[in-house]
Amino acid sequence: MAPSHLPPGFRRIWRRELRQIATRPALAFMLVPLPLILFLVLAVVFAPGLPRDLPVAVVDLDGSTMSHQIVRMADASADVEVVEQLATLSEARQALVSQRAYAILMIPADMEHDLLLGQRPEVVVFSNSQFLTAGGIVGRSLTATVSTFSAGVSLKLLEGRGIGTDRAMDLITPIPVQQSPLFNPSLDYIQFLLSAVMPTIMQIFICAAAVLSFSRERHSPNGMARLLRVSKTPSRAIFGKLLPYTFIGTFVLLLGDVLMFSFFGASFRGNVFVFFLNGFMFILTCQALGALIALIAKDTTGALGMMGLIVAPSFGFAGVSFPRFGMTAFSQIWGAIIPLTPYLQLRTDQTLRGTPLEYSLPTMAWLFAQLVVFSALLWLMARKTMTQTPVVADEPTVETAEAAQ
Amino acid sequence: MTKLKHFLAEVLGALRSLLADDSAKSTMIVGILIYSVLYPQPYVGEVLRDVPVVVIDQDNSSASREFVREIDVTEWVDVTISAPDMETARDAFYRRDVYGIVVIPAGFEADILASRPAPVAAYSDGSYLLIYSNVMRAVATVAGTMGAGVNYARLTSLGVDDGVARTMLSPIAVTNVAVFNPQGGYASYVIPAAFVLILQQTLLMGIGLLHAGRSLPSGRKLWATITAYFALYMIWVAFTQMTIPYLYSIPRTGDLVTLFMIAIPFICACMAMGFAIAMAIPWREGVVFLLVVIGMPLFFLSGISWPVEMIPEHLRALSLLVPSSTAISAFVAVDQMGASAQDVAGAIQTQVALAVVYTIAAVALSRLPRNRAKALP
Repeated sequence: MAPSHLPPGFRRIWRRELRQIATRPALAFMLVPLPLILFLVLAVVFAPGLPRDLPVAVVDLDGSTMSHQIVRMADASADVEVVEQLATLSEARQALVSQRAYAILMIPADMEHDLLLGQRPEVVVFSNSQFLTAGGIVGRSLTATVSTFSAGVSLKLLEGRGIGTDRAMDLITPIPVQQSPLFNPSLDYIQFLLSAVMPTIMQIFICAAAVLSFSRERHSPNGMARLLRVSKTPSRAIFGKLLPYTFIGTFVLLLGDVLMFSFFGASFRGNVFVFFLNGFMFILTCQALGALIALIAKDTTGALGMMGLIVAPSFGFAGVSFPRFGMTAFSQIWGAIIPLTPYLQLRTDQTLRGTPLEYSLPTMAWLFAQLVVFSALLWLMARKTMTQTPVVADEPTVETAEAAQ
Repeated sequence: MTKLKHFLAEVLGALRSLLADDSAKSTMIVGILIYSVLYPQPYVGEVLRDVPVVVIDQDNSSASREFVREIDVTEWVDVTISAPDMETARDAFYRRDVYGIVVIPAGFEADILASRPAPVAAYSDGSYLLIYSNVMRAVATVAGTMGAGVNYARLTSLGVDDGVARTMLSPIAVTNVAVFNPQGGYASYVIPAAFVLILQQTLLMGIGLLHAGRSLPSGRKLWATITAYFALYMIWVAFTQMTIPYLYSIPRTGDLVTLFMIAIPFICACMAMGFAIAMAIPWREGVVFLLVVIGMPLFFLSGISWPVEMIPEHLRALSLLVPSSTAISAFVAVDQMGASAQDVAGAIQTQVALAVVYTIAAVALSRLPRNRAKALP
């Protein structure tokens, strides 16, 4: 290591850490370009916002004017595209299983005939619910199409009875429901998924960077004691080592958010200052957690593995897809100790929902409590490992990380 | 015979060195076991029930009370608060005490009696799609059933014959049958798919941990190592695709032979890719870091939660380089939908092609001076 002319303390640690990043191009790549690349990939994936023209197949056993009209209406809807006309239900099943279609629209034989006789023919939509999103969308869309067609027929029948058009309309839907998707009027997946996935990935990056940084000291012989010599106190060591990554993390998270809110037009109705503070606290909490794991674990890869185990499934526990109130007590508690959970809740409050500030205070306190607890544990662990009696480095452990660079 | 014995001894030796490496053991064995307990936890409820909603009943009539009661008894929502005005309802909503607001305006019953449309309003958070669809489903279903009852009464009072009234109001019956995951369970949807990705990631990571920055064992020893990993992961395939669904009561229909027809080329492709990565990135921590962060993006490229048809062609083509991009939906098709080998033939071919390509890549990379110089001591 190059001799440093700075006296021991915060600035020396900070300089040392920056140098360590600069001399490891692979690490530098993983800190800034890689998260941005992953964000761009996900952005491209979710860019359409809403799935459109999803493939469905039709089994039209009737082949009448009316059945053709239903098929045309289905095809014309934005969600669905009729890609195949099949003769039998078993062929249709095949189309579902081999994923050529997400749903089957089955029009029974003699539908038109039965309809005119008033025998209520039954049209069946088979939707593949193993693909919950796509199957759900096409199932709802096809059902709605048939209902619309049915309502049209109903209108004609009622008019035929001498009931006026307006009155007939009222009769068809006596209790209309005005459905309002608050905050996300088009039920856009960018607002719903992308804005939650990006912080989830950032959480892994920020934790992993802290893990690697502290593992470099902890898992090299007498590294922690050496760290204490150049920093003087555990707090200075912690701040000096983590602060470079705080800046990098803040920069990447902000850059992603700027893209989200400007380029993808995600809505922002909250308080900019609170939003920023939330992101900053989130980064600090993730760093404290990551560094803590590095000090507890036996070696670097073990630390990364332990971190992966805690952080990687956190998307599920944070309740974005399946809400937290529907989970078991264990899952709710596990979710509560992961930084992502309060961060995402506050983020939703302060971006989409435009929640008045006082409602967000408990969530902020929750994230802050995590920060305090993880930092306190980190400080204790750092002090403990720094003052441990130094071991004589007799085992010829060549850190592959060092050797590789 | 002795040759075979020697080979088996080397296979066992490879397994022993896997167990001796703490990181590899915790990734390829302990990690999968912990994941199999931890990962499904958020989803064990399968179906979202009883979303708490607030009702603002401005009519307070017997019809409006019946409406509220009917919503409450559906499995989708639970009416937990009755608010006098929007102010109170909004407060509960922001506090996340409730996730939906149902408004029954004054004059609801009068409108029904006067044969006018009697609208109701439902609000829910559009940024939580599962919650939103529960709230809307409950309100729309109750409005539909109650409305049909009202209509029927109206028409019969106009002197329309009983059966005719029914067909006039809904001349076509439409039924939506959810197939393969009839109750729309969340665990059934996400768990079988996620564990295919977990198999891939742990295998790639494990090989990275054991081989990155080291030269490959030569000849028979290499084959023994490959056989050892293969055998281990065949056990994991059976465990994750059969035992885990069984433990979490996830229905599965797949047939075992077909499952292995996709699993074998998939595991081979992952192993080849693992060795290629280990030869390309000589930094063990780097391999682990990379694999941990790309796990989630890879899941979104698999077509399970976001339709592949929506992924731009170039990105889709690029994603085919990763085995999971085609394997996940093939596993799901076989296990959950009873697909035959022909149905997933495309995915099987892709896995075989990837196995070949990555084997060539791994062999080529292993000849780099960097990977040859550091022979095992």
